Amino acid sequence: MVAGTPTAQSAAVRGRARRQREEELLVWPDLVFIEFIAATLFMLTFTLLSIAVNAPLQDQANPAHTPNPSKAPWYFLNLQELLLHMHPALAGVVVPTVALVALGAIPYYDNDNERQGEWLATPRAWTMVWIGTIVGFVGTLMLVIWDGQKHVVLWAQLTGKDVADWPEKLNWLRNARALQNDIAWPSSWEAVPLGSKILRTDLLGLPAIDLDVNIPAMIVEQMLPTGLMIGLPVLLSAVLWKLGIAKTRRDHMIVQFSGFISVFLTLTILGTFFRGLGMELFWFWEVSPAVS
Amino acid sequence: MATTERPESRSVTDRVYDAVFHSYFWRSIFRSGYPNTPRNQMLAVATNVFLHLHPTRIHRTHVRITHTFCLGGLSFFLFLGLTITGVLLMFYYVPSIDRAYTDMQALETDVRFGMLMRNMHRWMAHGMVLTVLMHMMRVFYTGAYKPPREFNWVVGVVLLVLTLLLSFTGYLLPWDELAFWAITVGTNMVGSAPILGEPNRFVLIGGFDVGPNALIRFYTLHVIGLPLLAAIFMTVHFWRIRRDGGLARPL
Repeated sequence: MVAGTPTAQSAAVRGRARRQREEELLVWPDLVFIEFIAATLFMLTFTLLSIAVNAPLQDQANPAHTPNPSKAPWYFLNLQELLLHMHPALAGVVVPTVALVALGAIPYYDNDNERQGEWLATPRAWTMVWIGTIVGFVGTLMLVIWDGQKHVVLWAQLTGKDVADWPEKLNWLRNARALQNDIAWPSSWEAVPLGSKILRTDLLGLPAIDLDVNIPAMIVEQMLPTGLMIGLPVLLSAVLWKLGIAKTRRDHMIVQFSGFISVFLTLTILGTFFRGLGMELFWFWEVSPAVS
Repeated sequence: MATTERPESRSVTDRVYDAVFHSYFWRSIFRSGYPNTPRNQMLAVATNVFLHLHPTRIHRTHVRITHTFCLGGLSFFLFLGLTITGVLLMFYYVPSIDRAYTDMQALETDVRFGMLMRNMHRWMAHGMVLTVLMHMMRVFYTGAYKPPREFNWVVGVVLLVLTLLLSFTGYLLPWDELAFWAITVGTNMVGSAPILGEPNRFVLIGGFDVGPNALIRFYTLHVIGLPLLAAIFMTVHFWRIRRDGGLARPL
C-alpha cells in the first residue's frame, strides 16, 4: 500500500522497474509538513517586513495638484512606458489584450506533451531561455534609448561635441516622432479626408463622418510600433528556425515567452526606476521624488 | 515463580494527557488520535474538510521544494492573509472622500496594531502579484500546461488578471496623492481604447473624473466583487489540478 512496505520479493519482482505506487509519498505528513513550514516562514517574513517598513501614505488626494511625474502602480508601469512611445489606445488597451489572449493560447499551440513536468527538460531549452531573455532586454533597451534621444547624448559624449551638433540631415533619426516631423512628407498626406472621399456614409443617408487621417502621424503612432512589436518576435523566431537553433514548437514557445517576460520586466524596471520629471529618462540615482 | 502484573500508578502528565485527548469533548471534534499508520494518514487527508483538496498520495518529485517553490500555494496563502487583514481594515474604513483619508490616518495612529495590519495588507498584496507572476513562469518552464491541462492554464491567466485588478482597485482606497494619480493614470489608459474606451472608463469610475463614485465602485469591487470572482476561479483551478491527475510529470 505504501512505499517502503517490506514484502517477500521474488526474483522477477526484484528485477522490474519500480511501480508508480512505490514512487509516491503520503501527503500526510510529507506534503502537509512542507506546506506548514512554507506558510509559517511567509507569515513570519511578512510580519517582520510590516514591522520594519511602513506602507506609504502621502498627502490627501487633491485633483488640482498633479504630481510630476504621476505614475500608475508598478505592475502597470510597463504599459505606461509603452504609452510614451505609441498611440494610447495601442499601449493601454490593444497591447495588453493581445498579450493576455496570446498568453492564454500558449497551451493550444504548444501541445506536444514531451518532457512535461520537469524544469526546462527539452533539448535546447536553456539556450532558448538565454536567447529570448537577452534579445528581449537588449532590443527593448535600444528602442527606448532611441525614442528617448539618448543615442544623441551618447554620440555627443563619444565625439566630444554638443547634443545640438547632431547633423541636421540626420534629424529624422532623433526619435520616433522625428520620423513624422523631420521627413518631407507630401502635405496632402497629413490630412487625408477619409470621411468625404471613402467612407461616404452620407450616401446611405447617415451623417457624414468628419475623419481626416494624418498618415505620417499614423505611421509613427500606430504602424511603426505595431510593426516592431509583431515583426521583431517573428523575425527572431524565423532567424532561429533558419539557423537550425530552434527546432520544435516548444523551442519557439520558450524563446517567445522568455522574450516576453524579459521585455515586460525591462519596461517595468525602466518605468519604475529610470523615469523622472516629465517621464524623461534618467539614471536611477538622478530620479528625484515627484513634485506637485 | 509467576508474578502478577500490577498496573503502575499513572503519572500526572499521563492523567492530564488522558483528560484532554481522550475526553468526550475532544473525541467529538477529532474522532481518531494522531494518524500514525499509512492507512490512517490517508484517511486523515481524505476525510478532513481542509485537507481533502489534496490527493492522499503524491509523487516523490513533487515534494521537492525546487520543483514548484510552493509558488501556487503561497499565492493562495497570501490571498487568505489578505482576506483576514482586509476584513480587519474594513472595520475602520469608510469609503467616502470625506472620511477615507482621515480613516487611514486614524488607523495608523489611533488603532492598536492598525499600522501593522495596513502594512501587512499592502506588502502581501505586492507579494501576491509577484508570487502569481512567478507561479506562471514556473508552470511555463516546467511545461505543466500541456495536455490535458490546457484549460487550467487559461483559468490561471484569468486569475492573474483578477490579481492585478484586485491590487489596482485597492490602490485607490487610501485616497492620498499616490492613490489618486495612479488610478487617474491607470483609468486614462482604459479611456484611450477606440470607441468603447470612454464609455468603459465612465462605468468604471462612475463619472468623467476620479471622485466619490470611483471610490465607492473601487471599494465594492475590491472587497466583494473581485474576491468572489477570484474565489470561484480558484475553486475551478484547484479542482482541475486534481481532475487532471495532480501536478504534471514526465510521461
